[in-house]
Amino acid sequence: MNKVQAIHAQPPTLIALILFTLISLGLGVVANLAQRKGSFLEKYFLGGRSLGAFAVALTAAVMSGGTFVGFPSLVYSFGWVVGLWIASYMIAPVTVLGVLGKRIGQLSRKTGAITLPDLFRERYGSPTLGLMTSLLVMFFLVCNLVAQFSAGARIMKIVLPAQTASFFVSDDLAATADVAYYVGLAIFTVTVVAYTTYGGFLAAIWTDVFQSIIMAIGVMLLLPLAMAASGGFAQATYAGIEQTDPGFAFGPGAGRAFHPIGLAISFFFMWAITGMGQPSTLVRLMAFRDSRTLRYSIIYLTIYNALIYIPLIFIFVAARSILPNLASSDDVMPSLVIKLANPYVAGLILAAPYGAVLSTVSGWLLIVSSGLVRDLYQRFLRPTASEREIARASYSTTVVIGLIVAVVALKPPTYLQLIIVFSSTGMASAFLMPAMLGCFWRRATAVGAIASMATGTIVTLALYLLGTIGPDKLHLEWLVGPNQPIGAASAFRPFYLFQLDPCVWGLASSLAAGLIGSWLSSPPSEARVSLLFDAQPPDAPAPATLELHADANAGAI
Amino acid sequence: MSDAIDPVLKNARREAIIIGVAWFLSTVYCCVYCYWTGYIREGHPLGAEDVRPILGMPSWVFWGIMVPWLICSLFTFWFAGFYMTDDDLGMDHTNELESDIREGGLHE
Repeated sequence: MNKVQAIHAQPPTLIALILFTLISLGLGVVANLAQRKGSFLEKYFLGGRSLGAFAVALTAAVMSGGTFVGFPSLVYSFGWVVGLWIASYMIAPVTVLGVLGKRIGQLSRKTGAITLPDLFRERYGSPTLGLMTSLLVMFFLVCNLVAQFSAGARIMKIVLPAQTASFFVSDDLAATADVAYYVGLAIFTVTVVAYTTYGGFLAAIWTDVFQSIIMAIGVMLLLPLAMAASGGFAQATYAGIEQTDPGFAFGPGAGRAFHPIGLAISFFFMWAITGMGQPSTLVRLMAFRDSRTLRYSIIYLTIYNALIYIPLIFIFVAARSILPNLASSDDVMPSLVIKLANPYVAGLILAAPYGAVLSTVSGWLLIVSSGLVRDLYQRFLRPTASEREIARASYSTTVVIGLIVAVVALKPPTYLQLIIVFSSTGMASAFLMPAMLGCFWRRATAVGAIASMATGTIVTLALYLLGTIGPDKLHLEWLVGPNQPIGAASAFRPFYLFQLDPCVWGLASSLAAGLIGSWLSSPPSEARVSLLFDAQPPDAPAPATLELHADANAGAI
Repeated sequence: MSDAIDPVLKNARREAIIIGVAWFLSTVYCCVYCYWTGYIREGHPLGAEDVRPILGMPSWVFWGIMVPWLICSLFTFWFAGFYMTDDDLGMDHTNELESDIREGGLHE
């Protein structure tokens, strides 16, 4: 019997999803009412810089549908080595929030920036850099959004009653087209667009916090159930070895060289370092209340990661004893939950990945629409637009982006998880080094930042192109050799140069280009840099004011 | 203008360096230990008898991942709880930037 189809028969799961949807919509309404302080854009896209420690920690936990579907599938398939795959979460809270947190928080206040392109433009005094950042954020996030919309629709399709399709269309059409997917996509789109548009940043944050708590409760409930049902984790390990090979208990993984040492090193970059360069992280670092909030959020995130990821490894190793030889490892989470928990608890746990997708999408949707409204509409088209006009533009842009992504997701992309990894790698390779150099190095210039952003992006795209098409088809095998059969098996995959993930090459090349570009270009305006790097009186102006009145930025690119 | 370095920058830079060292040490320890003791490779075959479970997990997972995870968590609690300074991040210039954008538009 197909385990996924079995979920159709669970009405409590549907009830849990409906509750999730209603609570998310409710949070959107409450968030809208709660936004009082600051200008419209600051409230709508940044929550008035009022995020508390709990909100920063839980929303920086980067939970998405993959946490509860993709990750369990990897543990079930490849065994204990997936513990090393995720091990950099031990240090990620302090790297992701602690390295750039204070300086991004300070620079965004000093410059008045409310979006990432705003921040780069004001730090480096370069409209070109601001525009380039907007376009790259949109490119990578829209790729990511299509994958997430599709994931949301697929979860909804699984949970909807089997007869749903025939309720909307004739049985003949329902048999030929994937109507349940389209219905799932429509429900998902309407929900996420409605509460995000109405509630803005705070709605996205609050739903994120809500689903993170549900996920933690789900994991805590599953752990003792899995331990009892498996007869102990050691027993489950031996069962895994019997069903696969000794690689289930050791590296580089069962059945395939899933995680050779080169990738193990890469993944300490992937989670702990690239996490710093995600626009969603950088926006949260612009939105926290004060540095005390930042400190506490690091502590809360450390506790949260340990409570989620370590138990998940144990639970899905135990699944080898409880559900031996599943045909599709992607089904392991729903199958295990249905087997172990009572229907209402199962409903609650199964709703968690849907909530994770929902909250991830709402945050990203706002980043894309803020880029369009602030960085293109207000900066280039209508600088004199009134608050009311900007509010209208913000609402309509959020709706339009949501609808466009939904239309693209009508044809569901394959390799969802890999598209998400690709765009996260691309964004980190593009934005992390310009952000880091901009925070800590006063000699960093706009030319250096543009070179850094362009090089990181090009290197990432080139490695994915090379891996997906193949070095042999591009006649480059003589230069780079064949692609290694490592990592997850898929047609859309990167080229693992020296067995390292593209994130390592993207970050390294971006750093080198940033340093070289800055050294080779003229030093930045001393007046601007002094405002951002030297101690200043409390009434010091923002760099934009300096630029407007003193023409301090003559010759900016 | 002042020649003194911004105190927030000074603290943030020092803290970033310490975090970088902690990340580097955890990466090196985990990767070297796990590869050395827990990876099947040429000349280092491993089988069910080598699992040697500790608290249900293979011993290499316990010493190579769980123990450093605990140490990193303790480090983080100390670092964020006691070492990081509470700095004043300064005045929010959002409204100033908004009015500058408008004023710039009027001058065009």
